[in-house]
Amino acid sequence: MNATTDTPVLRLKGVNKRFGGVVAANDVDLDLPPGIITTLVGPNGAGKTTLFNLITGNLKPDSGLIELRGQSLAGVDPRNAALRGIARSFQDLRLFEQMSVFENVLSVMERSALPWQPGGRAAARARREKADATLDMVGLTGWRDARAIDLGYAEQKFLSLARILVTDASLWLLDEPASGLDPASYDRFVKLVRGRLSEGITICLIEHNLDIVHGISDRIAFLDQGTVLAAGEPRTILNDPKLAAIYFGERR
Amino acid sequence: MLLLQLLVDGLQLGALYALMAVGFAIIFGSTRVFHYAHGTTYIIVGYLFYYMTERAHVPWWLAAALAACAGVIFGVALDRYVYRPIQRDEGSFFTVFVASFGVGVVAENLVIILFGASFVSISTPLTRANDIGGGIVISWLGIASMLVAVALFAFLNWFLGRTDVGVALRALSENPELVRGFGLNPRKLSQYAFAIGSLLVVPAALVATCVTGLTPTAGHRVVLISIAASIIGGIGSLRGAGLGGLILGLAESLAVWKLSTGWSEAVAFIILFCFILARPSGLFGTRARV
Amino acid sequence: MVGYILNLLILVSISGILAGSLNFIIGYAGIYSMAHAAFFGIAAYTGALIAMHVSTSLLVAIPVAMALCAILSLVISLPSLRVRGEYFVVASLGLQMIAFTVFSEWKEVTGGLGGITGVPVATLFGFRLRSLESFLAVSLFCLAFVTLVIYVLARTSFGRNLKAIRDNEVAAAAFGKNPTFIKTIAVAISSALCGIAGVLYAFHVSFVNPESFTVDQSVLIMAMIIIGGTGTVFGPILGALIIHLLPAGLTYLTFLPARELASLQQIIYGAAMVLLMIYRPSGLIGRANIKDTWSK
Repeated sequence: MNATTDTPVLRLKGVNKRFGGVVAANDVDLDLPPGIITTLVGPNGAGKTTLFNLITGNLKPDSGLIELRGQSLAGVDPRNAALRGIARSFQDLRLFEQMSVFENVLSVMERSALPWQPGGRAAARARREKADATLDMVGLTGWRDARAIDLGYAEQKFLSLARILVTDASLWLLDEPASGLDPASYDRFVKLVRGRLSEGITICLIEHNLDIVHGISDRIAFLDQGTVLAAGEPRTILNDPKLAAIYFGERR
Repeated sequence: MLLLQLLVDGLQLGALYALMAVGFAIIFGSTRVFHYAHGTTYIIVGYLFYYMTERAHVPWWLAAALAACAGVIFGVALDRYVYRPIQRDEGSFFTVFVASFGVGVVAENLVIILFGASFVSISTPLTRANDIGGGIVISWLGIASMLVAVALFAFLNWFLGRTDVGVALRALSENPELVRGFGLNPRKLSQYAFAIGSLLVVPAALVATCVTGLTPTAGHRVVLISIAASIIGGIGSLRGAGLGGLILGLAESLAVWKLSTGWSEAVAFIILFCFILARPSGLFGTRARV
Repeated sequence: MVGYILNLLILVSISGILAGSLNFIIGYAGIYSMAHAAFFGIAAYTGALIAMHVSTSLLVAIPVAMALCAILSLVISLPSLRVRGEYFVVASLGLQMIAFTVFSEWKEVTGGLGGITGVPVATLFGFRLRSLESFLAVSLFCLAFVTLVIYVLARTSFGRNLKAIRDNEVAAAAFGKNPTFIKTIAVAISSALCGIAGVLYAFHVSFVNPESFTVDQSVLIMAMIIIGGTGTVFGPILGALIIHLLPAGLTYLTFLPARELASLQQIIYGAAMVLLMIYRPSGLIGRANIKDTWSK
């Protein structure tokens, strides 16, 4: 998989964010090329989730610009981000716990605040069918009517993915979506995610486990203490001893 | 001059409101409990004081002390037997609130059964108005209550700034994330919070019993003023709560210049609405947005 | 005796509407409003005034009261739904207090503490609803209507939106929902449905005064939901039934002093609320674990 030279779907340039004395993002430049999976890696507290929060508008950058397909994301809030085609998953999943698995997936497609959705009955039926099809894809059909909170860990991870799959977003920001999955589940997960790339989706993952990063990434960006230390081919980054030292905690 | 008189009255009222508000803010800040029964503490103290002086003929200073103790015990007991069990079971904000409200309902109705539903008050020469010049009148009780307020605030200043427990309480108020992981024993800390918070209600209760009279439903207004003051001053700021109380007292008193007493009581809540609309973090607040 | 039972059932129907409409926002959306009695009162006064000056037809009074309540609900929704949920509780309490002051002080309109008396008999399509039986039929119909509306809404995308916001507002927003707008609409619907109860009440007892619309009344409605259970459509109605039957039941315990019965009931509700919150927060019906909506 080559790193492409097409215009990036997402571009961060000179993004800064501080919380009091803590530098969460330090002059970050990052491009997400289209149609590939870029993975953000780095030790805990490196600022990876912060970048996601800055992109989706949960946090406002102190300075710098963030552009989605050339258009600025300044002033955007999470809802706007979703409307502009960004889908985001959370490290702590944030499932709708009291709702059923089916409802979790269906509800994601129901954005209108009014007591009815556009499109009438035909569209409603199409949404239900799509929800069922997506549950089938992730293997949760057997759990369709169970409450999300009653699911096991792996099933919950797949439900979180299902919610992303069912949107028509073109940029996915997935925060440690597969952490803790057993190898078989992990493979199934990667296949599902990769399968969408051909449809023009761009994906950015945060992944903690360096062992599995290699298999899933087309491109890697290494962060530490809010700074992008390196970005490029997975092989180069993962074999760099300096970065490994930082990751495993041997600081200067 | 009427306006000046209203100002003086407002300062008296504001001092008492400030105390109640800070009491609530200390409790809410360090335990995150929406202590609606703060108003119940008020009527317990007030009615006990009334009973002991009017019916049992206990000397007023002893009655006041006993009533204060009762208030403190009530607050601490509520924490131990109601709030903590709920919070242990992952009780939500609202579960605690409903329980607190339930306690208030029970207490309010017990008072109705024991004392009837209309006003009770104590007549004392301390409430007689004295002219202090320029046509401004103030009662000894009014002066006393302002002095007590000042004394209590000075005490708080020392306590919250110099003692371990006090510093911990203040830090927790401003940083609730610390609540779980703080070094000091959280149980003891919340006991202190409820004890002090409840104590701060005592002056207002005693004064009301002598001046305006008590009714069983007075508790609602007390706690709402305390909450309003905390929001206006800014959640997380104890000084803010005090200032908020002072502002509300002044506003309510000055409102009488143009409005009837009935309407002036609503002024506090109108100010509350304005703050929620325009500046939910209050004057000195630290966080308010979702 | 029959009249007594009919009267009781009418009151239960009205309370059922109050409890059901409040449960719509508390149970499904996790929005805790303490101002329900205020809307109840606003609708009651509106109904009384319309009956005395415009028309005694329910088909006029009810829609007007519903619209007024929905619009006035924006007074608490707009400021407080943008910020943390706790503010909404406080704002609703504040509105409740302001409403009581308005009911007591705006003498030209509300008649002050004395209230409005002599509300004429309700009419429907020209028929005067003079008998208790006819009024009960109308009340039950309204209860069924409100329950149906809530049931249908809960099962549609709107219900799912409410539950999504209740369960995880951040995630809901991240998927493109507009929590503030959805909550505002939910509160407006809840207030409007509550308005139906207010109009029925005004016609039934034929007078309105501020005492019926205090914080204690809001508490009573809350108690119905808590005791009956927040998770289902019928829980609130059961709660309403229990709360209304309790006084009747208490009168059979002749050793209790009659004067104090009202206070004793309140003590029982208060104690029930405390105990339920400690041991079974979701009430008698309804699921055993309730989602902590305010957790961070």
